[in-house]
Amino acid sequence: MIDLVGYGAFFLTTALIFSLVTLGLNLQWGLTGLFNVGLAGFVAIGAYTSALLTTPDDPAGLGGLGLPILVGWLGAMLVGGVAAALTGIATLRLRSDYLAITTFGVAVVVQLVALNAQKLTGGPFGIGFIPRPFGGLAETPLLFNLSNLAIVSAVTLAAYLALEHLTRSPWGRVLKALREDERAAISLGKSARFYRVQAFAVGGAIMALAGALQAHFIGFIAPDNYLSILTFQVWVMLIVGGSGSNAGAIAGSVLVWAIWAGSGTLTSVLFAPEQQARAASLQIVAIGVMLCVILLVRPNGLFGERPRRARFGKLTKSTASESGS
Amino acid sequence: MSLQFVVDGLLTGSMIGLGAIGVTLTYSILRFSNFAHGDFMAWGTYATLTVVGAIAAMFGKVAPIAPLSFGWPLIVALVVGAAFTALLALLLDKVLFSRLRKQEQAIIAVMGSFGASMALRSLLEFIFTSRPTYFSRAIQIAMPVGFGIRITPDQIALLILTAALVLAVHLLTTRTQTGRSMQAMSQNPALARIAGIDVASVVRVTWVIGAALACVAGVMIGVLVQIRPLMGFDMLLPMFAAAILGGIGSIPGAVLGGLIIGLAEAGAVQLIGAEWRAAVSFIILMAVLIVRPIGLFGVRER
Amino acid sequence: MNETVLVVSDLEAGYEPGVPIVRGASITVNKGEIVVVLGPNGAGKSSLIKAVAGLVPISRGKVLLDGQDITAAPAHIMIRLGLAFVPQTENVFPRMSVEDNLKVACGILERRLAPARIEEMYAAFPDLLRQRRTRAGNLSGGQRQMLAVARALIVHPKVLVLDEPSAGLSPKFVSMVFEMLSDIRKSGVTILLVEQNAKAALAIGDRAYVLVEGKERHEAAASTLWDDPVIAELYLGQRPLRKDSARHTETGGAA
Repeated sequence: MIDLVGYGAFFLTTALIFSLVTLGLNLQWGLTGLFNVGLAGFVAIGAYTSALLTTPDDPAGLGGLGLPILVGWLGAMLVGGVAAALTGIATLRLRSDYLAITTFGVAVVVQLVALNAQKLTGGPFGIGFIPRPFGGLAETPLLFNLSNLAIVSAVTLAAYLALEHLTRSPWGRVLKALREDERAAISLGKSARFYRVQAFAVGGAIMALAGALQAHFIGFIAPDNYLSILTFQVWVMLIVGGSGSNAGAIAGSVLVWAIWAGSGTLTSVLFAPEQQARAASLQIVAIGVMLCVILLVRPNGLFGERPRRARFGKLTKSTASESGS
Repeated sequence: MSLQFVVDGLLTGSMIGLGAIGVTLTYSILRFSNFAHGDFMAWGTYATLTVVGAIAAMFGKVAPIAPLSFGWPLIVALVVGAAFTALLALLLDKVLFSRLRKQEQAIIAVMGSFGASMALRSLLEFIFTSRPTYFSRAIQIAMPVGFGIRITPDQIALLILTAALVLAVHLLTTRTQTGRSMQAMSQNPALARIAGIDVASVVRVTWVIGAALACVAGVMIGVLVQIRPLMGFDMLLPMFAAAILGGIGSIPGAVLGGLIIGLAEAGAVQLIGAEWRAAVSFIILMAVLIVRPIGLFGVRER
Repeated sequence: MNETVLVVSDLEAGYEPGVPIVRGASITVNKGEIVVVLGPNGAGKSSLIKAVAGLVPISRGKVLLDGQDITAAPAHIMIRLGLAFVPQTENVFPRMSVEDNLKVACGILERRLAPARIEEMYAAFPDLLRQRRTRAGNLSGGQRQMLAVARALIVHPKVLVLDEPSAGLSPKFVSMVFEMLSDIRKSGVTILLVEQNAKAALAIGDRAYVLVEGKERHEAAASTLWDDPVIAELYLGQRPLRKDSARHTETGGAA
C-alpha cells in the first residue's frame, strides 16, 4: 500500500513535470500558433543550466558552481527564455514552417552539444549528483516522493494560474487575435512579431524550468533524456488535451503519461527482456498513429476549444476580393 | 588540409541534394514541410535491402560487377525499392496528408508529418531493430586520382548516378507538360485549376519523384556508410537546410544547396572533428534565414 | 441567330453554407454576344461568375453550356467543357515565361495541336510574341491581361468569362483591353463579363444585366441601359449617371 502511494507520487510528479512542458507548448502553439518541434532542446537547456549552476564543484568539468537550487531554476528559465527569444527573432518574420525547421535544428544542436562538449556537459554520461530538494529524506522514499510531488505541484499550479491570468489579459487577447487572423498579424508587422517573440520566449522559459525540475527530481541527466521522442510525447499530450486550454494541457499530460507508463509496464511484463526494445518501438508507433488520428478527426484535441468553422485560405481571400467588387 | 574533403563533400552533398529535391517539391507544390521525408529515405533503403535479400535467396550469390561492390541485384532492388517508396508516399498522402492539407492551418500537415515520421521510424526499428546493417561488407580499395584525393569505384558510380538523376528531374520539370503543370501549381494553385491542370495528378507526380529520389539517396547512404532506421531522420536537418539555402521550389537550388552543405560538412569534419558535423547544417540554415531567407534561387512569396 | 450558349437559372451560391451571396440569379448568353453583368458593390457579381466557373459552391440552380449541365463542375473540368475563366487578379503564372504560360494552358489539347494554337495567339496578340521569353510577372498590366485572355482563348472555349478585366489598369490600358475584347467577339467568341467600368463595358456589350443583392433586377440591350433611370438608381445607389440628364435628378441626389 505504501509502495503504491509512493509509486503514485512518483508517477504524478513525472506527469506534472510533463504538464509544465505542455503548458509552455500551449502558450506557444495553443495560444499563439507557433510551431515548436524542438522543445526537447529547450527542456535540455533548462536541465543542463540548472545542473551546472547547482552541482558541487567538479575538477574534471567546467560547471559546478554549487549555487542554491532556486538559483538554478531561475537560471534555467533565463537561459531557456533567451534561447527561445533568439530562435523567434530569427524566424518569426518568415513562414511558419521555417520556425518549425529552426526549432528542430535547435534540438539537434543542443543534443550535439550535450553529447560532445564533454567538459561542460559530461558527454554521453551526462551530469550526476544534481542536488535534490529534500535530499535528506532520500532514506524514506515515500516522504521524499511526496515532498517532491508537493514542490512540483506547487510550481505547476503557479505556472497554470499565471498562464490563465496571461491568457485573459490584454496581452493574451492580442496573441489570440494574431493567431486567428493571419492578415491582421501581417499588417501589424513588427509589433505583432514582438508579441510572438515574447510568447515564444515565455514558453521556452517554462519548458526550461520543467527540464530543471526534472533534473533535480531524478538527480542526474544525460543527452538521451532529450531526444525527439520527448518532443513528440509532449505534442501528443497537448493535442490530446486540446490546444488552447491550459487545464486540457495538464489533463492531457497526465492521461498520456498514464497510457505511456501503463503500456510500458505492460510490455515489460508481456515481452522477454531481449524483445523489449522492439516492443517499445511498437509503443511509439501506436502513439504516432494516435496523434495522426486525432489530427484528422479532432484537430483541436479531445477536450479542445470547439472546432472553429473550417475556413479555407483561398476562399477567405476571394470573399475579401468580392466585397471590393 | 587534404583535398579529400572535396570527394567526401560531393558524396554527402549528393545524398543531401537528392533528398532536398523531394523536400523542396513538397514544400512548393503541396505547401508543407514534410518531416517524414527522411523516413521515406530509410524505408526505401530497407525495402531495397529486403529485395536484395530476396534476390539472393532466389538466385544465390551473384558476383558483383567489377570493380563495383555490388551486382545487378542491387540495381534491380533499387528500382523496386524506389517504386515501393513512391507507393508508400502516395498511401500516406491518401490516408493522412491530403486530408490534413485541407485543414484551416497549413501547419497541421507539418504536425501530422512529424507524427507519421515518428511512427514510420519506430516501425522500422520494430521490424529490423536499430542495429546497423550493410549492403555489402566487402572493402573497396580507393584509387588515388591525384591531388591527394582517393576515390572508390562505388563512389564514382554514385556520383554519376546523382548527376544523371538531377539532370533528368531538371528536364522533366522544365521541358515537359507535367513539369510546367508542377511549376504552375507551385506559383498559383487556383489559376492552375482554372487552366485545366488536374491537381490530383500533379500531386501524385510530386510524391513519386520526391519519394523515389529519397530512396536513391538512402541507398547511397546504405552503400557508402550504413543502414539504420534513424538514417533518414538524421538527414532531415541537412535536407531542409539545403532546400532553403537553394531557394524553396528550385530543383537546381536544392542540389546546389546540398552540395554546399555536403562540402561544408566534409570541411568541418577535417577541421573540427566528425562529432560536430550536424551543427554545420544548422549554422548554414540560420545564416540563410537571417541574411537571405528566399535562398540562392528563391523568389519572394507573392 | 439567337442561339443560346450559356444559361444560368435560379442560381444560389456562396462561400459558406447558409450564407448565399448569389440569391437566385438567372442570365442567358447567346452565341457571339458580349454580355455584361453590372451592379453595385457587394451585389455578388464576381461570386456569380465564379460560381458559374465552378469556383464558388452552388447550393441551388443550374448552369447549362450548349445544353449540357455543367453545374458545379470542378474548375479544371470547366475548361474542358468549353468554359474559360479569366480571374480578376493573379491571372498569369508570374515566374513562367509568356510562352510557358501559353504552353501550360495547352495541357488539355492534343499535343500536336499546341504549337499551331500558340502561333494563332501570337498572331492575335503580337505584343505577346515580342515578349515570349519575358517572365509573365514582368509584363505591364495591359500585357498581363492580354496574356491571361490568350491563355483562356487558346483552347477555343465556347464562352469566355472575365472578372473585371479592366480592374487596376491605367486608362490607356483600359481602352486597350476593351478593344481587345471587342476584336475577340468579332472573331466569333462569346463573352460574359463582370465590370465595374460600366461605361466602357456597355460601349462594347450587346446586352447587360444589373445584379442587386445577388439577383438580376434588370436586363436590357447595352445601348439603352445607359439612359435608364431605374438602372441609375440601382446601379449607382440613387445618383444620376449623368449630371446633364435632368430627368434623373429627382430620383437621386440625396446620396
